[in-house]
Amino acid sequence: MAWIAKPSGTAKIERRDEPYLTASMRERFERELLPRYETRQGALLPILHEIQHAWGHIPHQAMLEIAAFLGLRPADVLDTVTFYEEFTTRPRGECVIGVCQSIACEVCGHQELLDRIRQKLGIEPGETTDDGKFTLITMECLGSCDTAPVALVNETLHEGLTAERLEQIVDEAARSERAPHGPC
Amino acid sequence: MPVTEPVLTRRIPTHPWGDPAKRRTISYDDFVATGGYKALEKALATEPAKIVEMVKESQLRGRGGAGFPCGLKWTFLPPPDGGRRYLAVNCDEAEPGTFKDRLLVDFDPHLVLEGIAIACYACRLDTAYFFIRGEYHHQAKVFQRAIDEAYAAGIFGPGGLLKGRSDFAVDIHLHRGAGAYICGEETGLLEAVEGKRGWPRIKPPFPAVKGLFGRPTIVNNVETLAAVGPIVERGVTWWTGMGCESRVGGAPSYGPKLMGVSGHVARPGVYEVDLGIPLRRLVEEHCLGMRRGRRFKGAIAGGVSMGILGPDQFDAPMDFDIGRTHDVMGLGTACPTVFDEETDMVAVARNIARFFKNESCGQCTPCREGAGWLFKLLCRIERGEATSRDLDMAIEIAGSMGIIPGTTICGLADGNNWAVRTIINKYRPEFEARLKPRFVSIGVPVRA
Ligand SMILES: Cc1cc2nc3c(=O)[nH]c(=O)nc-3n(C[C@H](O)[C@H](O)[C@H](O)COP(=O)(O)O)c2cc1C
Ligand code: SF4
Ligand code: FES
Repeated sequence: MAWIAKPSGTAKIERRDEPYLTASMRERFERELLPRYETRQGALLPILHEIQHAWGHIPHQAMLEIAAFLGLRPADVLDTVTFYEEFTTRPRGECVIGVCQSIACEVCGHQELLDRIRQKLGIEPGETTDDGKFTLITMECLGSCDTAPVALVNETLHEGLTAERLEQIVDEAARSERAPHGPC
Repeated sequence: MPVTEPVLTRRIPTHPWGDPAKRRTISYDDFVATGGYKALEKALATEPAKIVEMVKESQLRGRGGAGFPCGLKWTFLPPPDGGRRYLAVNCDEAEPGTFKDRLLVDFDPHLVLEGIAIACYACRLDTAYFFIRGEYHHQAKVFQRAIDEAYAAGIFGPGGLLKGRSDFAVDIHLHRGAGAYICGEETGLLEAVEGKRGWPRIKPPFPAVKGLFGRPTIVNNVETLAAVGPIVERGVTWWTGMGCESRVGGAPSYGPKLMGVSGHVARPGVYEVDLGIPLRRLVEEHCLGMRRGRRFKGAIAGGVSMGILGPDQFDAPMDFDIGRTHDVMGLGTACPTVFDEETDMVAVARNIARFFKNESCGQCTPCREGAGWLFKLLCRIERGEATSRDLDMAIEIAGSMGIIPGTTICGLADGNNWAVRTIINKYRPEFEARLKPRFVSIGVPVRA
């Protein structure tokens, strides 16, 4: 996970004029989050969660803005972002299908779930469909081993899955329009 | 006297007392209407030091994996010096096979909050962080709602605990992790709360002395804290009447325990049982036996880190002595994953090795490199491309990594060590059958 080297030295940072950390967000973080922690860095994880949730990833420009806001070096923010699996520096599909691959799910048939999605969407774990709609990932134990096999589709856990049921869930997601990304 | 009534699952319908289909989240009002926050009331009428003493006498052992005596840990705190002191509640629950804390958070969050309030009062901790794994999206919402209710009711907040019944005030904040198993390790957790990568710290200093933001901090598991309220309310004698004495002259395993059973059993789920229950009884009586009537082949003792109970260890008592008597690391989270006779144990070992390879934080070379090599070797064995030398090498690498051999900072590597080693040792013929011979037959008969 964490110790996979990232080519941060050569990465090109895309910029836009509007900030990711809007004035109202800053004001809210200052009022609600910062008083909870002894240091400003303490608020880093909750802020990253908001950005990840709003934009589906954490753009480099947002990291620079967060660093300035919290009085950190940009490298410190990148350090934290790249350590945690839930934070991604590049966009993923609108619908992220995370199939649990840990022990209880493997012995209760997670492979069928993976194979079905692979065939249906033509992607391997870690890949995104060309239309940007779906990303397939494998995840470690989701804390629901009694209802294995399970999958986390975006932020919703689906338990006691069969390949058919997961396919249905994916079909439903394909039909639904997700709200466009933006600040919350 | 064994567990005759639900304790932590009092309000959470669970077999054999209730029907899990009837579970719902207990709100603040439901909680109070069923005697909730009475334990806190009782605690606040008692000297803080007396509460610590009581938890010590109850011999409550940590439910997060290590089984460390909770009361003893609390006494490691230095006396208050006017500065901040913290409680970090460990709801990372990322150990594969484990799903017991989630039950409490999902359905009876105020039981956990009551335990947190009592612990903070007893240990003089003014700020609590509830660290919950990122994947528990729903649980984070449920728990935040419970925190909001508790603030609205004056349990927490600047006015002092329980509507100012005590002038000691406590704040609690929910802090979400973001997908890193290592943040369950207590000092990795502290780093995550500080907004850093979750790299475990070198100990000592221990968190009780120098923890969050350099201040004294107690780290406890959700289930450990949930047990504090019932102990305070109903007394030490009642608590020590449940569970069992030590079988090897060590510390006892008192109290009920949440055990989450998964894998090839007919009715998987969380059960509240006496510590010391034989695994066979847990499976046969509570889980209605093995799935499809198949035979038992083995079980992860309590989270993959603990290693495996072999085919002849179905009668192992699930208590804190299990590590000394059954060649596993310990009881862990007491959440066994059970395997039937059809299970490929080489695949099980490979699955677990992959988990540790993915989750090693990478600080210590023996863990980072060892985890990668173990996974590669086990894949090679699974594909039938390994020789007996590879198998020996896997055991040697596994045995060299961890705090116990003294090569790493934290216990993640010990988990990898015990899981891989015990599976290979207990199912060695199965591994050997997958090896390719070291000498290639040349088809020339040899006569002696
Ligand atoms: C790699 C690793 C992962 C751990 N994960 C958890 C966890 O998810 N939840 C937990 O309560 N304890 C976990 N622990 C144990 C904690 O370090 C700590 O001992 C525990 O939270 C203390 O609480 P207790 O004494 O109440 O059990 C983990 C330990 C290690 C070494
Ligand atoms: S033992 Fe492994 S997980 Fe623990 S600190 Fe060392 S590298 Fe990280
Ligand atoms: S192993 Fe998949 S939820 Fe635990």
